[in-house]
This record gives sequence, C-alpha cells and structure tokens, in this order.
Amino acid sequence: MLLILCPHCGPRNADEFSFGGELVRRPGPDTGQESWRAYLYTKENLAGWEREQWFHGSGCRRFLEVERNTITNEIRLVRDVAEGTA
Amino acid sequence: MKNRRRIAKYSALSLIKQSVTGRRWSRAWRHHDLQASYDVVIIGGGVHGLATAYYLARNHGITNVAVIEKSYIGSGGSGRNTAIVRSNYLTPEGSAFYDRSLELYERLADDLNFNVMFEKRGHMTLAHNDSSLRTMQWRAEVNKLAGIDSDVIGTHDIKRLAPAIDVSDRPRYPILGALWHPPGGIVRHDAVVWGYARAADSLGVHIHQQTEVTAIDVAGGRVTGVVTTGGRISTPVVVNCTAGWSTLVSNLAGVRLPITTRPLQAAVTEAVQPILNPVVVSGSLHVYLSQTARGEFVFGASVDPFSAYSTRGSLEFAEGLAGHVLELMPSLSHVRMVRQWSGLCDMTPDFGPIIGMTPVAGFYVDVGWGTYGFKGAPVAGEQTAQLLATGVVPELIAPFSLDRFERGDLTAEKGAAAVGH
Amino acid sequence: MAHRMPVQPGEVIDRSDIRRFLWNGKPVSGFAGDTVASALAASGVSIFSRSFKYHRPRGILTADHHDPNLFVQVGDEPNVGAGHRLVEDGMVVDAQGVWPSLRFDLRSANRLVGRFLTPGFYYKTFMRPRPLRPLYQRVLRRFGVGGTVSDHATPVHPEKRYAHPDVLVAGGGPAGMAAAIAAAGTGARVLLVEESHQLGGHLRYTGDETLGLLAELREEVAATDGIEVLTDAVVTGRYDHNWVAVVNRNGAREQLIKARVKCLVVAAGKIERPYVFAGNDLPGVMLSGAALRLMNLWAVAPGSRAVVVAANDSGDAVVEHLERGGVEVVETVDLRTPGRRLVRARGRQRVAEVEIADGQTVEADLLVTAVGWTTATSLLNMAGDLPVYHPPAARFLPGSLPDDVLATGGIVGDGSPDQIITHGRAVGIEAGRRALRRASDWAQSTPRAVSPSPLAAGEPAEIPHLEPAAHPEIFAGPTDGFVDFSEDIRGKDLALAASEGYDSIELSKRYTTATMGPIQGKLEAVNAVAMHAEATGATIAETGTTTWRPPYAPVTLGALAGSDDDPIRRSPMHDWHVERGATPLIAGQWIRPDHYGDPSAEVRNTRSNVGLIDVSPLGKIDLRGADVPKLLEFVLINRWSKLAVGRVRYGAMCAEDGVVLDDGVTARLAEDRYYMTTTSSGAGRVWNWLDEWLQTSFPGWDVLMTAVTDGYAAINVAGPASRRLLERLVEGVDLSRHAFGYMHARSGMVAGVADCILLRTGFTGELSFELHVPAGHGLHVWTSLLDTGADLGVAPFGVEAQRIMRLEKGHLIVGQDTDGLTKAHAAALGWAVKADKPDFAGRPELVWEGASGPDRMLVSVQPADPQLVPPEASQIVDGAAIVGRITSSRMSPTLERGVCLALVDAALAQPGTSLAIRLPDGTNAAAHVMEHHAHFDPEGERARG
Repeated sequence: MLLILCPHCGPRNADEFSFGGELVRRPGPDTGQESWRAYLYTKENLAGWEREQWFHGSGCRRFLEVERNTITNEIRLVRDVAEGTA
Repeated sequence: MKNRRRIAKYSALSLIKQSVTGRRWSRAWRHHDLQASYDVVIIGGGVHGLATAYYLARNHGITNVAVIEKSYIGSGGSGRNTAIVRSNYLTPEGSAFYDRSLELYERLADDLNFNVMFEKRGHMTLAHNDSSLRTMQWRAEVNKLAGIDSDVIGTHDIKRLAPAIDVSDRPRYPILGALWHPPGGIVRHDAVVWGYARAADSLGVHIHQQTEVTAIDVAGGRVTGVVTTGGRISTPVVVNCTAGWSTLVSNLAGVRLPITTRPLQAAVTEAVQPILNPVVVSGSLHVYLSQTARGEFVFGASVDPFSAYSTRGSLEFAEGLAGHVLELMPSLSHVRMVRQWSGLCDMTPDFGPIIGMTPVAGFYVDVGWGTYGFKGAPVAGEQTAQLLATGVVPELIAPFSLDRFERGDLTAEKGAAAVGH
Repeated sequence: MAHRMPVQPGEVIDRSDIRRFLWNGKPVSGFAGDTVASALAASGVSIFSRSFKYHRPRGILTADHHDPNLFVQVGDEPNVGAGHRLVEDGMVVDAQGVWPSLRFDLRSANRLVGRFLTPGFYYKTFMRPRPLRPLYQRVLRRFGVGGTVSDHATPVHPEKRYAHPDVLVAGGGPAGMAAAIAAAGTGARVLLVEESHQLGGHLRYTGDETLGLLAELREEVAATDGIEVLTDAVVTGRYDHNWVAVVNRNGAREQLIKARVKCLVVAAGKIERPYVFAGNDLPGVMLSGAALRLMNLWAVAPGSRAVVVAANDSGDAVVEHLERGGVEVVETVDLRTPGRRLVRARGRQRVAEVEIADGQTVEADLLVTAVGWTTATSLLNMAGDLPVYHPPAARFLPGSLPDDVLATGGIVGDGSPDQIITHGRAVGIEAGRRALRRASDWAQSTPRAVSPSPLAAGEPAEIPHLEPAAHPEIFAGPTDGFVDFSEDIRGKDLALAASEGYDSIELSKRYTTATMGPIQGKLEAVNAVAMHAEATGATIAETGTTTWRPPYAPVTLGALAGSDDDPIRRSPMHDWHVERGATPLIAGQWIRPDHYGDPSAEVRNTRSNVGLIDVSPLGKIDLRGADVPKLLEFVLINRWSKLAVGRVRYGAMCAEDGVVLDDGVTARLAEDRYYMTTTSSGAGRVWNWLDEWLQTSFPGWDVLMTAVTDGYAAINVAGPASRRLLERLVEGVDLSRHAFGYMHARSGMVAGVADCILLRTGFTGELSFELHVPAGHGLHVWTSLLDTGADLGVAPFGVEAQRIMRLEKGHLIVGQDTDGLTKAHAAALGWAVKADKPDFAGRPELVWEGASGPDRMLVSVQPADPQLVPPEASQIVDGAAIVGRITSSRMSPTLERGVCLALVDAALAQPGTSLAIRLPDGTNAAAHVMEHHAHFDPEGERARG
C-alpha cells in the first residue's frame, strides 16, 4: 500500500485515491485524427519517474499531480493540479 | 541445418534406461556463441519468443534464428501466470484465435516430446448478477457459432461439477449461473517454455540467455541489426516478443505503442487434498482459481490499480483475493497462502494483443497481451512465424494489427470489459 | 510421557496443567505450554509425517515453526505446524496424507522406484498412450500429502487491526528486545513482534547462565512505556512505503494487523541449516536447535544414545546439555577437526546406526547436527535489499538497506549477549530518530493538513560493528541426502537439473521444485544454492539466492480476508419492500425490488391506473453557479445553453473516444441551480468525471457541485392517474397539464414534506412525475402515496416492470444496450450530437462517426412469431457470420408480443429489414427492424398527457 502525502489531507493510504494514468495534454477539438488518437491511445509508459494524475476520491476529492517512479514506486512530488504546470 | 541435432527422446522407457545406466541426459538446450548475423532475431525468451522461433524452424525451415533473453528463459510472464487456457472469448475473432491456441496446446506434448501436463479440467465462469449472466449468454452464443464447446449452466450443474463452491443464497454475490467451457484447463507453464526451448534448440535455433538488447539499428526505415550486451548482430528481421518491457524495446526501434504496463499478481496456497477439479472464475469478484495436481490452490485477480514496472506485490491484493476466494469457497478459511508473486502485463486500450508489422520495415511486434499472453502463445508463435516467412498477414491475426488504434477500429473484447480469465 | 526429563530451569511447561488430546485417534497427554510436537515426542512418538514424493517417514527436524516435517491436521485445520501449535484439551490431531497408517504407508512403495523419480520425470513421461493422460493426472493427484479441507469447516473471519507504531521490531530475541527498549526511550511508539510463544530468542534454550539476563530484558520490556509486545505473531511482509503485515496467530484464529511503520527494525535472527548426507531425513536426525529446544523448553529427551556432529558452539552446547539431561553421547564428530566426517545414518523407522568417516559404525537413536546457519533475510529482501554471501561466516548478510529499514542481531553478525544487546540498543535509538524525522518530513510535505508539530530529530546514532563469527563452509557430507525435505529433493537432483540445462538457480528451482514447499526455502535455500553452485562450478556468491516473496510465513486466507465486506446500499424504502415480499435484485451496490410477485400485472396496472417505483439509487448531482451551463455544454453531447428555468432535458455523456458513458435528465430549478440525474451504476463515475474536467481543465469556472444521491429518495409516479394522485398530496405547485408540462421541473411540498423536486419525466412512457424528496421523508411520502391513492388503483412496481415498460418504449439502458465500443450515433443518439458546439468531451470522434456513419446501430426489433422472446445476447446471424445481437428482450404485456432492442450492423438498420436470430436450440427465428424505437405509443402521447 503506497503512502501518498496529500497536500490537503496529510499522509494517506493509496486506496483512498484512484490512479488516473500519466499526464497527457488534450489536443484542441479540431485536431486531426492522428494526433487525437495518439492522445487517446499512445502512452509514454515510462520506466522511471513519471508525472501522473491521482484523484483523492475518499479524501479531499482533489485531483493531484504526482511524480512517481514506476520501478520503485517512490513518490517525490504531490501537488494539487491547480498548482501544476501540466 | 548445420545446428540441427538428434536428442534423446523423452519417454518412460528412456527415463528408466538413463536411470539404470547412470548416463546423464543431454542438455535440453545448448550454449552458443553469439553470431555476427542471424536471419531473424527474436527479443524475449518467454513462451511467445520461443514458440515463434520453434514454428519458424519447424513450419518454415527458417533456423538461423536467435532468441535473445535478458535473464533466464521463462523469467517473465511465462513463468508467472496462472497457467489457465481457454477459448470462450466474447468476439468471433477472439474465439477463433484462442481456439487455434487450445488446439495447439492439446497436441503440444506430442509436438515437442515434452509433457506440458495439459489437464482439461473445464473452465467455469460464475455469474453473480443478471448483467454478467447476460454477458455469459453472449459469450456462449458467439462460441457456439464458432463451434466451441461453451454453454450457460445453472447452479445444479455448478454444484455437480464443483461441489466445493458455495451456491447457497447469499445477499451480496449470489451465484445465478455460469459459463461452462469443458475444453479449458491448466497447463504447466514452465514446461511449455522448456518444451519450446528444447524443440527449437534441436532444430537449430540459438537461445542466448543473460543477454540484453540495448539498441535496435534502423536505417532508411528498415531494421539492420540489434546491439546486445553480448555484441552486435546484423539482421533484417527483429521481432519484439517481450512483455512488461515491450514499450521500452519498441522505443529502441522508434515505434510507439498504445501500452500501459501493469502488474498482475497471483498467489498459491499450501497443498491440501483434491477438492476442486475445474478452473473457476468470478468476474464480479475479480478472482480465478484452480487446484494443481500437487494440491495447491493457485489464485489470480485483476491487474493492479496503477501502472508500474514493479513485481514486488502488495498486501491489499492478498487481502482482497482471500476475501473473494472465501466468498466462493468459505471452507478454505483455514488454508494458508504461502507465496504471492507478480508479473507485468502490457495492457492495450481494447484488451486485444498487438501482432504484426510496424511502421519500421523488418520490425515486428507480438506484444500487448495483457492478461492473456499464456493462453495465446502457441497460436501467436505459429502465426507470427507464418507472417515472417510469407510476408502476408494471416487472417487469424489481422484484427490485432498495430494500426487499428490510429484507424479507431478497436477489437470488440473491449465491449465487455469484465475480467474474464 | 516416557521421555519427559526432570524439571529444567528454563522450561515453559506447567506440569500442574495436564492437556489431553488425540493423535491419530489415540489419547495422548501433555502439559500446558507443550507444543503438539513436544507433547508427542515426550510420549515417544518419532514419526510425524510422510514425505511428499517417496512417502518416507519423517520426524522432528527443527522443533519450531520452520519444521518441514511436522505438518499435521488439527480438527478442521490442515497443515498446522506441530512444532509451534500449543496443545489444548480435546484437540484432534492426525497425520496427513497417509494410507493406511502413518507407520505403514503403502505409498512409500514409491521409494522402490525412487531412482526413476528424478527431477522433471513427469515432463519426460506420462505422455503415451495419449488416452491415458487424464488417468495419469488423477493418479498423480492422489499422492499429495496436504491436509484435508472439510466442507463443514466453520469459516473464520477475525476482524483486522490497524496498528500505528513509529517503530516495528520484527523478532523478540535479545537484539530485538534491546532495540525495542531503546527506541521507546526516544519517545517512539514501538510494536515488538515475536513468532515464538515467549520473548527471548535463543536465550531461552541455549544456556542456564543467560536465563538471568533474559529475565532482566523481559522485565525491562514490560516496564518500558510505549512498547506493545505481540508473541505468537509474525511479520509476514514488508511492502512498498514500509507497509507492514503482521499476523497475530492466536492459535486457530489468526488476525491480520497492518501498520504504516516509520522505521522497521528486522531482528529475525538466524535459522539453523540442515546438513546434507545419506539418511539425513530419518526420524531421530535433528538439528542442534531442535535438541536444545526439546530439552530446555519442554524437558523432553530427544533420544537415549546420541551422536553429535558439530561445526560450531551450538553443537558443543548440545553435547553438554545432552549429557546433563542423561542422554548418552556415544560419539562427537567435530567437523572443525581435520579428518573428521559423517558418512551416513541408517535405520528404518528411525535412525539406528551412524557411520562415521573412519569406517566406524556407531549405534545410536539420535543424531544431532550443528553445521551452520542461514539468515532470515526475507523481510530485508522484500525491502529491496539483495543479501550478499559472506564466505568467512558461510552465510548471507544484508546488503544495503533502505532508509526506513534497519537490522540487528544474528541477521547482521554474532557476539556475546552483551555485544548483541549493545548493537540492538544502538539500532533502536537510530530507529527512533529516523521515525521522528519521517514524521517531521510528512508534516512539512503536507502544509495544509492538520498535523502535530514536528519535533527535531537528532544526529544519527553510532551503531557498533557486529562481526559475523567465522564458520566453516560446510553444506554436505560425502554422501548424498535431502536438500529440501518438503519436496523430497536430493543434492543429486539439483546436479542433474543443472546438467540438463537448468543452470540458473531460478530455473533449477522451477524444474526441481526445490524451496517451493510450505516453508518456502527458509531452511533449505542456502543448501540448494550451495549444491547448485557446486554442480555448475560457480561460487555461492555468483549463484546468488532466489527471490524471497511475501508472506514470510504462511497466512490463512481467513486472516487475510478478515471481516471486510463489500458494502450494500439500500434506499430509505428498503424495509418496506422487504416486508411486502419483494424479490431482491442486486444492481451494483444496491439491492432493489425486482418485483412484488407479478411484473406483468405491475406493468398493466401502471399503464391503466398508476404505479410507483422506488428510483432512489438514481445518481443525483446538485449544480450551482454561473458557469453550470458551460459545464453541461462540455460534458453532454447536446445543447444546454438555452435551457429555461423550470425545464428538464435528456442528456447523454460520452468519453473522449466517443463511447457513451451515461445518460439522464438535468433540470434547471433556478437561475443558477441545476439538478442532474445519472444512471444508478454511473453515479460515482459521473460525479468524478465532472470534477475532473472542472479541476484539470476549467479551474476558473463558477460551479459548485454536490453529490446528493443519498440525500434524496426518489419515486417515480407513473400512469394515467398519476396526476390525480399527486393533486391530493402536492401543495404549492399547479400540476395541471398547461401549468406543469412534459419535461418541466418544479419544487414544492409533497405530503407535507418541503423542498421536494418534481420532474415530469419518466422511463415508462406514461404520464409520470418523478419526486425527489429529502431522504429521511422518503418512506413517509411513499406510504402516503399508496394510502392516498388506494381508490385510484395505485400499486408499487419493481425494476422488472420498469425494464419492460422502457423496452416497450424503446429507451436504451447504457451498458446493456450499448457496450464499451458503442458511440453516440451507434446508440441512436445521433440526433443529440451537436457537432456545431465548439468543443465537448468526445467531440472529434463523434464528428467523425457522424461523417462516416456508425458501423452498428441500435434498433428496435420484433420477432415474426409474436410469442417468441429471443433470450438477451442472442446473436443475429447472416449465414455463419454474426451481424448483430439482441441487447434487450421481453414479452410485452401491453402488446402481448415479444419486443427487443438490438445492435446490428449499420447495413441492417433500415426499418423493415429482415433479420435471423440464432436461438439457443440452434435454429434461426425470423424478425424485422421496426420503424420506430418505441414499440408502444410511438408518438409519445401518453407521456405528454
């Protein structure tokens, strides 16, 4: 059970959160098929540090930006998406 | 054919002879020096890579083939799955594909002269609510049209086939029926790896263990070779047969994949006397279980809730699993779990594999198997070998091409995204 | 109790408290404090089990929780470790998997063919003749030695516990106790976990002179504030971020304890390793620790004539203790002396003679070996550490540990009790410091969370070096014996495997199954590695060890499952439904009334009079703020900007890939207040979906969202008489057709309950009003409607009747009539897609789907035979090809014929198209596509009524 240091709620077990996958940038609505489908389907799937989204559904209900190492599961940054740069 | 060799045939008689004479068996597969070039380089010494090599050699006479494995053969998903095979898939293309796989599994012991211990125990998927019963019916109807033995059964038959399952009335997960698939069963997973390796080796394939591919050379949109920790190999054909690392290996060739890697965990108990014959699955409870010939229960569940390249496993998996197993078989509450482990699954957006060509000429993939890699290995190996040998995409794998995502033509297994092992 | 010795100074038995139990049906007695094994050994039992492959007789090897030979059946419990489980009055203990009896097991005939049962023999045989394979498989299954699972076993689900220690110490030997005391001294809360029944580790049985020290340590632990001690408990796993599992054994009622540990101290000690030689598995051959434990803890003489093979001081201690206990030591083979060797042990049911190197044979009924240690590094391994082989000490030692894990005691090195305690104390202080620092890091990383103000952590504590004692690298004698007792694997089996190509330790393990048994290699792994290394010509360090996986010790499924239950949700009217005998329906987390006896009658009554259905599980979201229309425009495919106050509109929601996610109606109750309903199963998902867009893409929008699913009970009042019924109960709202039209919304008072929402919508196609009333008043409104409308024929209807009526009307259910690939156009929702909106979720895919036309289409279908209702999921075929499927089907009581919805290939979607439906019996039934989705009242006159 990972421990996520929610900036609003404090250290909480990961089962309070749901994983939202790697952070992706949404193309504009008039984008072409190739880039839209890349947005939908293609993944970086990084082995190592990844910027991803978690949702604290059983806590503050905030969407959080998390930097996690997908090999070790270390987490080095958790912040509210509102503070994020993605 | 320079590498071909005759090896001692495995049989009860030869076992007795070898034991009496004290002669040792020949090595099941040999060590070779890495050649400077091969006709085909297969990355990944798991069941997919080895099967592909075997069928290339056996069906198409292509034997100048190297299988490159960064650890030992079968160290990835091949030796970490729960060894269940079946063909009762939801879609016509899925059931045709896995039915061919089951057909190959049934005769694999004879083909490879290696007892892979295929036990046709039957495969039972329980339904706990009317929508899953409807999905069972859907699968059964699709299967029947494809000539696959698959039908919806009631609690009376469930009790007869698996008396240890509790079919009594319960408020939360009542058992309303099941999809029953007699041809399904379990196979000794490691034996499949070793059987393919031994047979491929005897046909001249080189298996290089403890060798890692660090680069794939591409020139003018074509593959020209691979760089490994053991040296560079020139080759016009590279097949990515990895799982867990398929994104990283494809990235080496500049091919991007729609894959997310997720751990899939499993667990095994101490042995108890036999009480469960069929493989039992519950989609609503996200659990599948079988009892091995040794008496251990092997359990699996759905993939972990977040992506990772870690195989360390989690306690919450074991807790959830145990709860759901006891929901089906309360009598197991005193049985002890002795080991949990984890493998990496490459999940695609539609839960279908990705097999075939890529935008880079000569670079092929057989990846994205999610949780179905073991079930599909023989047919994937056979069909990939055919694709490599003929250059024509075989009909069975045509629905699983990489470009389907760009075309938006996803496979329909996504239709019913319930767990279905 | 023929083998019971006089009172021993450190014994843990209470001789005044006699416990009687059954062993294989025969009465045996022991004392309180005895384990099953010690009581049986005291009574002269030497065979406890039969081995896995050859069914050889097996006796005590380690006399503790690691003993691979002592698995027994205790009542309903299979595979109980008799070396650990304490005796209780009335216990029923049996040997496992033996036939006909433990002393005479017919399957030991396997020994005769043992030479052919080489590793992997089954991969090479049992292939021909092919038809016999199932028989071979059945026969193989009969040889298992596992215990029995009883159908009548009472399930055990003890509640789990969360513990919150700062420091958790795994292992209650001298180092662990010292660490716990010191850590508590820094102010840390400490959980000290010991697998045995008492604290003390080896101090309990290795010498009288340390019993005083042990007593002092135990007193200090007891006197120190902040230490909780758990004995008969074991740390089974260390998971990511120091999430630690402890199993409190508590006899047969194991409890799982979970803890987020700020610093884990592993003081798991050493495990004695067996010696490999011919006859090493005979009953009467045991490890020095077993002999010491039997004599000193339970006052049991392990034999009468002993040979001791010693390579360390544990062997020396055994000689001294045996002699003191009156056991004759006929020979001591000191392996530290050059030239001294042990060749083999012989005997049938028990060791009878021992052959030593110079050709000499000694008669003995006990052979004790003390040839070295292995370290219990599993927990460190689970923490990412790779143990390193240290040749001078002939054992594996910790490599590099993560910051939140420390190790002390025998796992690290050796020394006098004082040196070990000094090391433990230093580690305890450092553990306390690190725990404090972690708490402070957490507090600083979560600035907005309420946390206790952090204390400053001090400087790192200096941890003294604990040198591992030199030990000869001895693993096997000149003859071959068992490496893995659980799996019946000999040294030569490992050599054979290596020669066949299984030449990495992991391949060897999988091929031979060495270390795969119930104790998972804790005892045998080092010997297996040593044998494998010898066979491959590699060093032990090069060979490495196999990966340790959790759990460290076996855990019952009952403990892992605990009493956790999946939640069930019930509406405020649930009890009323139950009292009326409603048939329950599981719908996601909800239990709903499927029907009250006759769904067709419920349909007919609703269509001709008035019916009520409890629709409380509908998802409900209260939306307020100036930017709600913008949000609705974005998340729903249709138009929302012009919805007037008091109006309701149907909306559908699609994911970014265009696939239909959910649907429902949304009302505008006031200028800046909207009320959205969702499907029951989609309620949570939609709430999160809206929040995600608001937070990640539109943070500046003025929208305040509240999920009110549980806040309102919802009742749909449907049927021609529904208005008349409501007119009797509603105050302040003009219900007349012109004042409150179809797809309008009002707020008002119902049956005296204020703040109710009334929507003129419904799934049934009848004149209907959906009442959303504060949940606490749900039952009151429900019963008031029924009481007030008796003369109008009001009656409840269940989910089944609603499904029939919605199907008569051709309304789709997302997730039943659509699947994970059905986009809006295919779901026949193309009319709602407003491609001219600049952006909305899924827009590009829906624009493309609209342009190219959907590949499939949801249509209404009627079979030619009016009495036929093809089962849901029936396939629509064209020859052998599948061209669609029936997604919903029912017999319509209103039309008295079968009605369906079907997803068909787009080419077949034209009204009037003939279809062939494949029925379960294999025949095809003719059907055709309908012009309208609604089978009944296609113009919708009734709903507007």
